[in-house]
Amino acid sequence: MTRVSSLQARFQNAILTRGGGFDDAIVATERVSAAQRIEIYANAYRSRLIECLRESYSALHTLLGDDAFERLCRAYIDSHTPHHYSVRWYGDRLATYLRGTAPYRDHPYLAELAEFEWRLMESFDASDAPPVTVEEMSSIPPDRWPSLTFALHPSLRRLELAWNVAAIRSAVDEERDPPSPQKGDQPAPWIIWRNQLRQFYRSLPDAEAWMLTHAQRGEHFAALCEGLCQWKDESEVAVHAAGLLKQWIIDGLVTRIGEYA
Amino acid sequence: MKQLPYLGFGLGLRTAHYETVLAELPANVDWFEILSENYLVAGGKPLYYLDAIRERYPMIMHGVSMSIGGSDPLNWEYLAQLKKLAERVQPAWFSDHLCWTGLDGKNIHDLLPLPYTEEAIEHVAGRVRQVQDFIERPMLIENVSSYLTYQDSAMTEWEFIAAVAERADCYILLDINNIYVSAFNHEFDPHEYLDFIPVERVGQFHLAGHTNYGDYIIDSHDHPVIDPVWDLFADAVRRFGPVSTMIERDDDIPPLNVLLQELDHARGIAQPILEEMAA
Repeated sequence: MTRVSSLQARFQNAILTRGGGFDDAIVATERVSAAQRIEIYANAYRSRLIECLRESYSALHTLLGDDAFERLCRAYIDSHTPHHYSVRWYGDRLATYLRGTAPYRDHPYLAELAEFEWRLMESFDASDAPPVTVEEMSSIPPDRWPSLTFALHPSLRRLELAWNVAAIRSAVDEERDPPSPQKGDQPAPWIIWRNQLRQFYRSLPDAEAWMLTHAQRGEHFAALCEGLCQWKDESEVAVHAAGLLKQWIIDGLVTRIGEYA
Repeated sequence: MKQLPYLGFGLGLRTAHYETVLAELPANVDWFEILSENYLVAGGKPLYYLDAIRERYPMIMHGVSMSIGGSDPLNWEYLAQLKKLAERVQPAWFSDHLCWTGLDGKNIHDLLPLPYTEEAIEHVAGRVRQVQDFIERPMLIENVSSYLTYQDSAMTEWEFIAAVAERADCYILLDINNIYVSAFNHEFDPHEYLDFIPVERVGQFHLAGHTNYGDYIIDSHDHPVIDPVWDLFADAVRRFGPVSTMIERDDDIPPLNVLLQELDHARGIAQPILEEMAA
């Protein structure tokens, strides 16, 4: 170990643990002691990460309020050292932390809201892909329809939400008072995606969620129709499936129509 | 050594200003500096606005994550992404800070100072050479604001940065505010700093505001540039001549026109000096 690297190891440890024992390596000034000088860096480390979490989790911050949010951040920071070169990824384990740690785990909407906000961030700058247009879809001859497959937008994220966390987040985005956390009758499937530059999210009826899952797996249109028979009469399923597909295309969710080989 | 192009007066590009920049295409900003890490993403708004603004303005890439003074191996995955971004942006140069940001795979997300020693010069210069060869563009290293001095340091900060630049054969991004901040924190004369830096190595100036806590100053980038920093900037222009200059603002970001006025102020200070020097 070189002299530089051992100095760095000690300084990093002093920042992370605030355990002291590094003062001897630092020159004090008349105004600022060695310990205070190290503390400037230890404070900056925590402030920067709190700021980053505030940006990533704006609704969680609003819901908890400044003090409780900061307490949460400090606890998370104490148990999670950043590894990625971009600070933007720092909050990636916050939902897991909330799900598994008292007292947060007793309020499951907190983990769910964090999960929702993290997926929004993932979707925000996921890869671009030009969406298929309704005209392109209409130009496909009917006899080819049964074998069609569909690629979906790289920004598409899916999750199950038991609570009204999407309503909480959209209220915060629109600078309204968020509603109180409320649990629905049962968890519902949701999607988050980007259409060109705009972000969207909505819940899905069970039949649509099923169809989306199976379209994502590369199953062809005929198989999707067959599956929808769980919910719809056989005579209606093709029209129903075509209707859902058209909506996905309008929403910018479909980026390629292929053919099942 | 080859002289870098003089780009004039620029601003740090911030998301809050994307729409205004594109709608107004202000003529009194000559170029933009981007924070590279904000664009090391797959798609969406960041890259859309990057391309749209790049079409209309020259752009320089400025990073915070290279850890050029770090003791972990260089992060080649990061550097590969940076190179890819450079191919997209085509900047005249790219820069990062003369600092380290973490050890053992950890990232403190701060610009941590190095000890000013011969060992550190040798270590950093070797890494700068590797990075410059890999990115295939000129690299600038920036002086950081610092809040402590190591007992190990055997020379001044200005001797250190000048030696690294000479030995690595790279350029210096001189942050005038950081010199002011560090001069206050470490009780040195900022002019001594300026006077020691080799003129031909300086490729860019940074200007920014800071927060004064009485006993020390933090480089917070959340205030306008203060008068003593403007004075130091004028002295820097007298010494270094026409050097591409930009203002950084990262917090409490005001509307674009406020920063454009501040940039005009920088221009108003520099241009008479440059004209006098040219006469």
